[in-house]
Amino acid sequence: MTPAEAREALDVVARARRQVADEVGLPRLYWWAMAVAWVLAGVLQEFGPQVAVSILGLLFGTGHAAFASRYLDGRRRRARLRVSASVAGRRTPAVVIGMLLGLVAVTVVAGNLLYADGAGHPSIWASILVGAVIGLGGPEILATLRRWTRA
Amino acid sequence: MSARFDELIHPSTRLILVATLAATDWAEFAYLRERLGLSDSALSKQLATLEEAGYVATERRLEGKRHKLRARLTDLGREAFGGHVAALRSIVDGSIPDS
Repeated sequence: MTPAEAREALDVVARARRQVADEVGLPRLYWWAMAVAWVLAGVLQEFGPQVAVSILGLLFGTGHAAFASRYLDGRRRRARLRVSASVAGRRTPAVVIGMLLGLVAVTVVAGNLLYADGAGHPSIWASILVGAVIGLGGPEILATLRRWTRA
Repeated sequence: MSARFDELIHPSTRLILVATLAATDWAEFAYLRERLGLSDSALSKQLATLEEAGYVATERRLEGKRHKLRARLTDLGREAFGGHVAALRSIVDGSIPDS
């Protein structure tokens, strides 16, 4: 066997491992639910009392802790496979939290830019923008971040 | 993990199958069939070959009204796979002669 053939075989092994690792994640429905909550937060920020945004944040945090942890270790019941602990990694929940904080930062920056531009209801538009990113690309963003951070 | 090239694992389809199982605690037959793009009979044959060598263990479980087959890599299979990957790395690094 030549080194090139061995390298090709190692690539096959790495790809198989990556495909299993990609099974760790949250269902797309979860991301769409988050997108809706994001827009709701934007609307509340614009029209509702500040306490309502805080309550929504608290509810979201509780829901996330209860639901996401079951998916992020790759060991949920009724799945078609159980990802090994070494492949699932322990950092994925931290990556999700980091991703959410990043999205909050993007929302705030987008809202401020829209406000500076004189747009009406900047919080709502910013939350719709980020909500669309979450709903359409949440799983892909998380998978990419996991790969970058080797989580 | 000592490097040991494994002729049984190396063929492309089996390598993907073993690498997939190595990344899991277990995987269902349907998942493996979909992932490898094999027919039922082709996958059964590959699993039987690995099971005969003691690399894979299969288990039929009743879920609802259906039986589902699960496959997992045995300790021997994990050791063989680890040795094979180490051998491939050695070849790439040029630390052992080409086989």
